[in-house]
Amino acid sequence: MESTQSIKRRLKSIKNIGQITKAMELVAATKMRKSQEAALSSRNYAYTALDLLARISGQEIKLPELLRQREVKRTAFVILTSDKGLAGSFNSSVIRLFEKYIKKENINIKDERYYFIAIGKKAIAYLQSKGIKITEKFIRAGDFTTPEQINPISDSISTGYLGKKWDEVLLFSTYFISALKQEVFARKIFPVELSSIKKIIEEIIPKTGKFSDLANKKFFLFDKIDEYLIEPSQELALKALAEHLIRMQFYHLILETNASEHGARRMAMKNASDNAEELSESLNLLYNKSRQTNITKEITEIVSGTELLNN
Amino acid sequence: MKLFIYSLKNTLFESEAESLTCETVNGQITILNNHEPLITLLKDGVIKIIDKNQKASYIQTMGGFLEIRGSNEVRCIIDQNITSQNEN
Repeated sequence: MESTQSIKRRLKSIKNIGQITKAMELVAATKMRKSQEAALSSRNYAYTALDLLARISGQEIKLPELLRQREVKRTAFVILTSDKGLAGSFNSSVIRLFEKYIKKENINIKDERYYFIAIGKKAIAYLQSKGIKITEKFIRAGDFTTPEQINPISDSISTGYLGKKWDEVLLFSTYFISALKQEVFARKIFPVELSSIKKIIEEIIPKTGKFSDLANKKFFLFDKIDEYLIEPSQELALKALAEHLIRMQFYHLILETNASEHGARRMAMKNASDNAEELSESLNLLYNKSRQTNITKEITEIVSGTELLNN
Repeated sequence: MKLFIYSLKNTLFESEAESLTCETVNGQITILNNHEPLITLLKDGVIKIIDKNQKASYIQTMGGFLEIRGSNEVRCIIDQNITSQNEN
């Protein structure tokens, strides 16, 4: 049997780990809620913007460059992961999806026609380990909660699209279903399809758990479309609106990924804390047993010693 | 008129108002009750709201959109600079 001292040492370190994972679990839960709240509080803006879009594009109109489709020659891949690990299978499942896609579509990663954009340190590390040239990298997106922080990312991707650097952008990210369930998705974000933006905004509301009751609230009021005066012109208004919608889309995608990351980390940390507790319980038992054995041994020694003296 | 002002981060105004003064790309306009339907772009500047108690309030914007509906309803979606609001 192990010595009492070494069991005690192990017990102590397991308790410490348990405390750390417990703290991380709580932090992740708070951060998850924060990301979710940020996404939810922008819903009014999002719905009004979509409503506006419906009103402006009611008539036949020349689409702005940002919304126009063209022949796909070059593709950009965006991989959205976290900076830090300890989040269960959160990062590896995004990367696995990306690998699967590459394999299925028979994409040669060394081809000049493909660009790779990494968001999050894990994505950067993965692409580097594969020897893929990273066109652009962004880090620290995991704590972003304001649109101003996210604009550089969306701007650089839309500039690339406008500048004909790429004709199609695919994004691999995680979709937040509930605090316990996240799924990975591959989404085409450029060329923009307005229905997909609408879908992303509708997906802000989690399907179950906290905030899910918001899904029943009606937001669209396509009652009657008035005859609008549009200033300065329909084209310009639509162009400005398209830029806003794209920024908004990125804002939501990143918030959703953040919520998923923290959700996944919370689950991973909860499992770790549970394990630590179980382990410390069984070690405690072992420790007590070994302590008791020692005491019994000592008592036997004393008793046999006194008996020896009495005789 | 009913006035709604939203930014990506939060709801800034959502109630009855008397008038709204803002900078659009075509110059400054003031909207009173029953304005004709209009969609326009906002410039950087300050929005002035007079609420139904004749009290004025101001909101800073970094551009945005203004929509006036026929049902005496005004909606604004605006961008805000991070320095103009309290970071929490």
